[in-house]
Amino acid sequence: MGLVRKAEPEPELPVVSPEDLIRQLDDPDREARRAAALGLEGVADAVEALLDRIGVEQVPAVRDAMLTTLAVHDTDRVAAGLAVHLASDDAGLRTAAAEALATMPISVPALVPRLLEDPDPDVRVMTAIVLADLPHPESLTWLAVLIKDDPHPNVVATAIDALLPSLGPEHRELLEGAVRRFPDDPFLRFTVEAALR
Amino acid sequence: MIPAATALTETDFERFREYFYRRTGIQFAPSKRYFVDKRIDHCVRAAGFETFAGWFGALRLGDRPALLQELINQLTVNETYFLREDYQFDALLNAVLPRVLAARGGPGRMAGPVKILSLPCSTGEEPYSIALRLLAEWPHIDLVDVEIHGGDIDSEVLSRAAHASYGERSLQRVPKLWMSRYFNAVGAGRYQLDSSIRDAVTLHQINICDTAAMRVLHEFDVVFCRNVLIYFDELSSRRAAENLYSAMRPGAYLFLGHSESMSRISPIFKPIRLPEGIVYQRPTGAK
Repeated sequence: MGLVRKAEPEPELPVVSPEDLIRQLDDPDREARRAAALGLEGVADAVEALLDRIGVEQVPAVRDAMLTTLAVHDTDRVAAGLAVHLASDDAGLRTAAAEALATMPISVPALVPRLLEDPDPDVRVMTAIVLADLPHPESLTWLAVLIKDDPHPNVVATAIDALLPSLGPEHRELLEGAVRRFPDDPFLRFTVEAALR
Repeated sequence: MIPAATALTETDFERFREYFYRRTGIQFAPSKRYFVDKRIDHCVRAAGFETFAGWFGALRLGDRPALLQELINQLTVNETYFLREDYQFDALLNAVLPRVLAARGGPGRMAGPVKILSLPCSTGEEPYSIALRLLAEWPHIDLVDVEIHGGDIDSEVLSRAAHASYGERSLQRVPKLWMSRYFNAVGAGRYQLDSSIRDAVTLHQINICDTAAMRVLHEFDVVFCRNVLIYFDELSSRRAAENLYSAMRPGAYLFLGHSESMSRISPIFKPIRLPEGIVYQRPTGAK
């Protein structure tokens, strides 16, 4: 007993083909599905198979592995395929999709104008969450657009939260304008007062 | 002053940044420009090239892997010392290892050793600190087998970790009793860790963002991954988190650096609040 050195070197692990890994995405064992999702990093031919399973995979750890692999591609197809889940009724799925989209600064910006105009306020809330972390020079401008123009107070409050880390004196008028637009919303007033404190 | 021939233009820097990020997951902000330029200049000249363009072309061609390894060695930060952020080792001994033993059936009934990983391990101070704390202070060390592994992307620091010879700065927090018990003076103010300890630690050259390479690490009960994720962008951090998760047993524990938070990186770990701070657990049901 005590400190021991690993007895033997690791055996060579078998190389699994992308085709087999795609098939393994449907394995009944969740750890096999997760390993397949991670193993498909950089395989462009696996994008559709992964996108098909994002909405049906029930194990969050497997779904997150799929999202991590998909986000690396940062293509219009992946961005569009993930953005549909911002409207999901599954809170875990829409949050996970938003987190993945926030790591895709090449493809997501092209989607943002349409997402800002989405008729579903919940989608616009999730868009604000994406913009909070999206490393793109226009992110703050888009958040300001939501705060200034969005008709739903929940969207505006989320956009204000997202703006908080970058908040400066130049945003005071923007935030006070939001309170004036929703004078009967105590939560929004509290959010702005806390931000300006 | 960096000579004009090896100096980088803005375009060179952007191309280099993109290349290095894709190979390692490490991204340098423009504010790190001077740090990067100086080390690239060193690499270009050490490899015998006269211009950045010639060196960068050879690097990207990939037929001289030593060029990339030297670059990685130059651009990774390796400064550390024994018993750094020691409160986390307190948490390991007082809270985490008792939970690990209980979850695995207790001493005498466990299949296989308790496995601890230090990644990145740099010049070895962290995995050896863990070994010292276990040997000197953990009452169960004579009842269970413990396997300690260290990993780093930098081959040069791993060589130094294997040699395990340290100067005063690295050893300043090591108690005198431990110095006399576990180290041997080797001259010039340096002390080498006893071979019984350094030989017990298994070292791996590995990139935490490389999913295929990370498959050799598995079934760990405890992982220390401190002060490295702060160098990664969000995507690389997520990839690293996924790879750490894969390396851990269900129910295993992950320590990050004191300024790091997994909640900003990935939701796959469960934060556990201990008296000594936050530790992250791979959920037990996730197998």
